[in-house]
Amino acid sequence: MKIINLLGTAVLVTLLSLFGVAHAQKSGGTMVFLVQPEPPTMAGYVSTSGPIGLLAPKIYEGLFDYDTAGKMIPVLAESYEMSADGKTVTFKLRKGVSWHDGKPFTSADVQFSIMNVLKEVHPRGPNSFKEVSSIDTPDSHTAVFNLDNPAPYMMRAFSAYESPMVPKHHLEGQDLKGAKLGNNPVGTGPYKFVEWKKGQYIRLDKNEDYWGSDGPYLDKIVGRFVPDASTRTAAMENGEVLYAAYNAIPNIDAVRLKERDDIGVTTDGYSMINPMALIEFNTKEGPFVDAAVRRAISTAIDRQFMIDTIFFGYGKPATSALSSNFSATGLHAEMPNYPANGDIAAANKILDDAGYAKDGNGVRMKGTFDLIPYGEDWRRGGEYLKQVLGDIGIQVDLRYEDVPTWLKRIYHNYDFEMNLNYFYQLSDPVLGVHRHYGTNMIRKGTHFVNSSRYSNPELDKLLRAGMTQPDATKRAAIYKDIQTILAEDMPVVNLFELEFLTVFNTKLKDAYGSAMGAYASFGNAWLDD
Amino acid sequence: MNRTSKILRYVSRRLLQGIPIILAIIVLNFFLLNLAEGDAVDVLAGEAGSATPEYMDQLRAKFGLDKPLPVQLLVYLKNVVTLDLGYSFRHDMPVSKLIVDRFWPTLLLMVSTIILAVGFGILLGLLAAVSLNTWKDAIITVFALITYATPLFWVGLMMIVVFSLNFGWFPTSGMENIAAFHEGFDRVKDIAHHLVLPTITLSLFYLALYTRMMRASMLEQYGLDYVVTARAKGLTERRITFVHVLRNALLPVVTMAGVQVGALIGGSVIVESVFAWPGLGMLAFESLFARDLNLLLGIFLLSSALVVAVNLIVDVIYSFLDPRIEIG
Amino acid sequence: MIDFWKRFSRNRSAVFGLAILVAVLFVATIASLIYPEDPFRLAGKPLSGPGLNGFLLGSDSLGRDVASGIAHGAKTSLLIGLIATLAAVFIGIIFGAFSGYYGGRIDDLLMRITEIFQTIPSFVFAILLVAIMKPSIESIVIAITVVSWPGVARLVRAEFLSLKNREFVQACHTLGMSDLRIMLREILPNCLSPIIVIGSLMVATAILIESGLAFLGLGDPNIMSWGFQIGAGRTMLRSAWWVCTFPGIAILITVLAINLVGEGLNDALNPRLRERQ
Repeated sequence: MKIINLLGTAVLVTLLSLFGVAHAQKSGGTMVFLVQPEPPTMAGYVSTSGPIGLLAPKIYEGLFDYDTAGKMIPVLAESYEMSADGKTVTFKLRKGVSWHDGKPFTSADVQFSIMNVLKEVHPRGPNSFKEVSSIDTPDSHTAVFNLDNPAPYMMRAFSAYESPMVPKHHLEGQDLKGAKLGNNPVGTGPYKFVEWKKGQYIRLDKNEDYWGSDGPYLDKIVGRFVPDASTRTAAMENGEVLYAAYNAIPNIDAVRLKERDDIGVTTDGYSMINPMALIEFNTKEGPFVDAAVRRAISTAIDRQFMIDTIFFGYGKPATSALSSNFSATGLHAEMPNYPANGDIAAANKILDDAGYAKDGNGVRMKGTFDLIPYGEDWRRGGEYLKQVLGDIGIQVDLRYEDVPTWLKRIYHNYDFEMNLNYFYQLSDPVLGVHRHYGTNMIRKGTHFVNSSRYSNPELDKLLRAGMTQPDATKRAAIYKDIQTILAEDMPVVNLFELEFLTVFNTKLKDAYGSAMGAYASFGNAWLDD
Repeated sequence: MNRTSKILRYVSRRLLQGIPIILAIIVLNFFLLNLAEGDAVDVLAGEAGSATPEYMDQLRAKFGLDKPLPVQLLVYLKNVVTLDLGYSFRHDMPVSKLIVDRFWPTLLLMVSTIILAVGFGILLGLLAAVSLNTWKDAIITVFALITYATPLFWVGLMMIVVFSLNFGWFPTSGMENIAAFHEGFDRVKDIAHHLVLPTITLSLFYLALYTRMMRASMLEQYGLDYVVTARAKGLTERRITFVHVLRNALLPVVTMAGVQVGALIGGSVIVESVFAWPGLGMLAFESLFARDLNLLLGIFLLSSALVVAVNLIVDVIYSFLDPRIEIG
Repeated sequence: MIDFWKRFSRNRSAVFGLAILVAVLFVATIASLIYPEDPFRLAGKPLSGPGLNGFLLGSDSLGRDVASGIAHGAKTSLLIGLIATLAAVFIGIIFGAFSGYYGGRIDDLLMRITEIFQTIPSFVFAILLVAIMKPSIESIVIAITVVSWPGVARLVRAEFLSLKNREFVQACHTLGMSDLRIMLREILPNCLSPIIVIGSLMVATAILIESGLAFLGLGDPNIMSWGFQIGAGRTMLRSAWWVCTFPGIAILITVLAINLVGEGLNDALNPRLRERQ
């Protein structure tokens, strides 16, 4: 029986932070940070939407958090114990924790949160907790998860953002989507919800009864909504806001602000998100059904140029279907057909060899290129790609529609030929990458899954094997095969690994410590004056 | 028939005429919005990250989006008749509450903008008209036109750079200092402080309109017979301008200002966006892209009703100011 | 004609405006000659300042030539303004003419329809139309037309109302002319001058609306226009001011010129002002 005592590590971490840091934390102050765009509600248990992620984890907590090295930090659970067959996981819950309304937090809340909320209505919960068949609550501070099959990846999904614990007494018997809790969140976290002025800000005040011994130090944290990017930068420069994550400050400004003494810029805090820019192709109809054309396109693109000009140097050229961040677990393998600087001549040769001749105007084929409607950067990307495609004889028209139209087109009507997009590869390929390629992930009407409708039985088999293989070396071999097939077929051409930026005022200290970055709690953050 | 009852009859007739207009606006926009691909559920699911089609269907049923369009429209109209603007499923809040929260900031910005623009417009237009075709006239005309022709967001951003960042006189954006949470009179002062830059930016845009109207209106009056008579009577040019012409010339300008206040209730998407001002314009903009139909229709309904009402009020006031104008 | 020009040229700023407008038109016409390459083409080092690396007005974040974009964009922006204005004037004349000429029920009906479009907040309505029809040059023109025509309709109606009872129109009735002929051949030519004035201003407004739409990300992604350049450069205003400043200046100058010309036309065509001089 494998027992992991996380409490010990936690104490150690606390001691380190007490003695290792020269200055002591100061209490007090209001920390204003940017939230963009304004979220519809704060129901983090039904939505993994970015702006909700910036707010809800300050109010709600998960069973665990993860430090920057990926280690589990106990939060609402103090420890866990996994049976030898991996099918029973027992959580010891923290005692003396209460909800913001004063009611105690118990194992019944955990049971309800996982079984009735996350498994039912959360976007990723049904995957993360797929194997959980039931949860027993022998006492008020023990929760026993009964699994059908071992699910090691589940242990990466207990953060406040990914799987928030919600108060049973506020949700039981209610319609989860319309419950009052969505706009009036009640959690166990370091900050309590106070006020939401629509169009302006959300205010959270310090939870005086927080269970933690260190923190929270801030009196208030306020999430502010500023629609225009240039104004966001100005507000940061003026000290009106102190923290801006997920590229709320455009890269070009971040590069400029970095030079100032009072402002810092970091790419930390996104390792569990792992975003990848890519092009999805329609593999069923249209001009890009031939894998050779897709390979040619991948060969032609100057990935480094896109990173340098559009994201001002932040990013890494993709070298396979998997992000290089998976190198740590040995899953990533570099593949051919992903030249960092692009090779127009080689791309033209691939197309010539495949029999696509140029007409009098140098055009081999025509098509339409959809762009993800998430801001100017992607338009620039599309404009650059249009030029490159023109160089290899593929003439495309760009199409930039609003979000609902685009979602419907790509994931419901499949009425597209190629589409610029980005996906979160998350902390494990099972969670973030499989959805793109598996035949079982061709789900009409479900967003951000296999819109290429690529289906390859051989690959499906490998994906299944990769999901359950516990041995690291064997798993790496499986994923190498997967990447080899995908480098050849390329239903999706990966462009580059995005590096999101967080821009912060250096007055703000210890906003980090969690791998979740901006999606963590600010529980230890404090202001130095 | 006496004048009061005549006005009352006129008002009630105009109000009755306003109803079909507002209904038509609802119906038109209802169908326009339904022509657009995707609905509120698609947006919510897309933002959430993922959702199964079954869950999305459940949501549609809950929002009433699964019913045929005519039924949805009838339900909406039925609600409107009982003065209920419906529910925003996206925000999980009644539409009226969302709109009211954003109405006051909009009104504040718009009224201060109009006052500033009309005040300066009248002044400049007057100056231009009395010095017609001189360098003063030319400079005023060009100045007003430059402020009109410069893209709004550019002016806004420059205001922020110069007056917030360089001089530090004003905050960059927002309506209140939200780190401080002022109360009482301090809060009023704080809001006024935040109001300065967006007001100036937006009024620069309207300044040209009022300057030009005032100038044209003055010139028009100068050409009328009574001015010739006055001149013949030997009145000074100064007296003619300030006593006779000015008064009459103001009328159309003030009317226009009234009409504009109504139209401006829709908000200014660009200025609200640049200054993060929590007005109705941005709310409408966001609700369009979120396919939050009830909310968008609610905003249209409110602003249309206001335009109708303000136009009516202006006409009535007008008839009091100038008894020659026959209403009815 | 000579007489008209005399009156027009008395307004020096109007002549100045006309000169600018002619220059802009000239640039738009020869754009493909001076910059034969696609303005979207990556032409050199990104974010070069004005005058550097062979870029007269600098380059944008992808290394596209800002000057080339302005020259090509001139055509687009002017065309958007012109077509939208012509369409709006056309619709406005039809609505205004019938409404003013026939009066009564027809007037009531047409004016109510006009009011519907006048009562909706116009910029938000334009955004809505573009979003629904998908951002493209056509949808932008349609949206601008839809929000601009009611003004023309009202103006034309007022003119028709005042002209239809004049003696010369009465005379035509006695001669047995058809209504359509009277409207087209007799009344309309007499109200052309205010239409020209309002139309000239609408061209300017249309250019501004296009840039506003582009600012909000609703421009046509395939066609170079000033609005597009501004939209693409606005986030880098602080670091690379030239990317959207020069297109902004192009808009400013053009809108200014059109307005000056409009003002000049107004003064020259307005008979009352004629007498004052």
